[in-house]
Amino acid sequence: MTVSAMHTTDIKMRRPALPTSLMGLALLFPALAFLTVFLVLPSLILLGYSVLTQSQSGDISLPLTIGSYERLILSPAYRRVVMTTLRVASFTALFTSLLAYPLAMVIAYGRPLASRVTMILVVAPLVVSVIVRSYGWQLLLGNSNTGVLNWILRALGAGPAPVQVLYTEWAIVIASVHVFLPLMVLPLSASLGRINPSLNEAARVLGAPAWRAFLRITLPLSVPGLIAGLTIVFSLTAASYVTPEMVGGNRGLMLGVLLEQQINTAFDWSMAAAIAVVMVAIALFATVGVGWFADGRTTLRFRRGGK
Amino acid sequence: MAGRLSGGGGFIIYTVAAATLVFVAAPLIVVVALSFSEANLAIFPPVGFTISWYEGVIANEEFRHAFVVSVTLALAATATSFVLGVPAAYALDRWPVPGARAIETMLLTPLILPILITGLALLQFLAAMRMRDAAVNLFVGHVLVTLPYLVRTVTASLKQVDRSFEEAALTLGAPPWKVFWRVTVPQIVPGIAAGCLFAFMISFDDFPISFWLADAETVPLPIFLHDSMTKIFDPSIAAMSSLMTLTGILAVIGLEKLVGLRRAMSV
Repeated sequence: MTVSAMHTTDIKMRRPALPTSLMGLALLFPALAFLTVFLVLPSLILLGYSVLTQSQSGDISLPLTIGSYERLILSPAYRRVVMTTLRVASFTALFTSLLAYPLAMVIAYGRPLASRVTMILVVAPLVVSVIVRSYGWQLLLGNSNTGVLNWILRALGAGPAPVQVLYTEWAIVIASVHVFLPLMVLPLSASLGRINPSLNEAARVLGAPAWRAFLRITLPLSVPGLIAGLTIVFSLTAASYVTPEMVGGNRGLMLGVLLEQQINTAFDWSMAAAIAVVMVAIALFATVGVGWFADGRTTLRFRRGGK
Repeated sequence: MAGRLSGGGGFIIYTVAAATLVFVAAPLIVVVALSFSEANLAIFPPVGFTISWYEGVIANEEFRHAFVVSVTLALAATATSFVLGVPAAYALDRWPVPGARAIETMLLTPLILPILITGLALLQFLAAMRMRDAAVNLFVGHVLVTLPYLVRTVTASLKQVDRSFEEAALTLGAPPWKVFWRVTVPQIVPGIAAGCLFAFMISFDDFPISFWLADAETVPLPIFLHDSMTKIFDPSIAAMSSLMTLTGILAVIGLEKLVGLRRAMSV
């Protein structure tokens, strides 16, 4: 660290033309100005809208009110949407982590060819549009006998009644797991790859069966990657629009779709802004809350004798 | 490392991983399979084999227009993000700017903020500013979501630059601009390339921004595809989806050849 710090000062001393921090700010200015005008300012205005009153004519002005938030929390219809969003995001994060572990282990520990092929197959869908992937799930989960799932079930002789999965919360969970799986596998495999292999070997040499070595060594040490994955999958699912809109139907109404309806159907900007604020709050809470929970658990484990 | 997945446990892990990969591939395979079906509805199982849906899609004026809009938009957004993002990342890495941490967080904010909400905030702002040109509005929105990808990849690759090479070049008498151009730049080119490719794909596939900002004349491909899905039920939707998927797969292969996937995804 000291050596590289010395290098930096050395190089800087040879840049006489401009006061150094001014040059740095000049390089930063265009990007910061762009973000201030087109992101920070609009976001603050939107935040303002959520506590202002919308008149019959559609103008937004004073007085200040928390009416939109009140409706969002107190009205049963809106509260149901908030709960659906939280439930779908939680289940998606949970199931994604279960499916991601084996894939991440093959990428981190598998034979070179298996590792490379798995990596490519996991990452490839990331660049396929979410619309295409949700369309694929529409075809797979179709509620009549022409849906792939029902076609397979019928071919297996599962009886005449087609299962109804499409346009439910479960359809959103299934499709969301598919959409966000890469974002769980990547941090998880990075975390697994950083674990010192000799720890596992030591456990095995000392007689621990493979499953036990996994539960007591690999799993706890991969928690940083798991936390990163859970956080990102939860936040993105809670904030998603395309997948719930395409496979969720009315029974799987989530906040993103409700937001769009408020703008394009109800023209209620104040309500839409309040929903937007709640969505950002959920994302922030996931990031801060999950990290805090993980820290607490680690401290607890150390206090109980460094297990 | 090899052989750490051996024995019965290893076999189970490989089997479960393989089954999960089937789950990963299934929706894409179904879409591609139906795009060759001779049936008039996109329903399973596919019948026969035909490429007529692809011919129809490629001949479709609106599809071609949407494709051109998306490619133009993605190129413009990527180029602008490059111009804004690379100097910013360089400044953060090399100069003692006051509040550097806060600035870096701000540059990455569009990654954390739900994109649907970024788009809504922008829509409301642009409407208030009386900016009605959808092409310009889309361009601004797409720069907003692509910029952080360039900042992030370039910052990460700048951190890996070996400063002792620059030191050596300076000691040997090279002027600073030459050191930058001949020593620093070659080391960060893979990072910049990966960042640009990410930015292009993010913009090309974007729905939540375009959804708010597009109008009837300027329709990017994802919007066109989504609108078509509610009107058309024949396999041409599957053919359009497959063509879009093909673009994505080409990008992944490019990334793997260019910098290696593992490296690109870790930055």
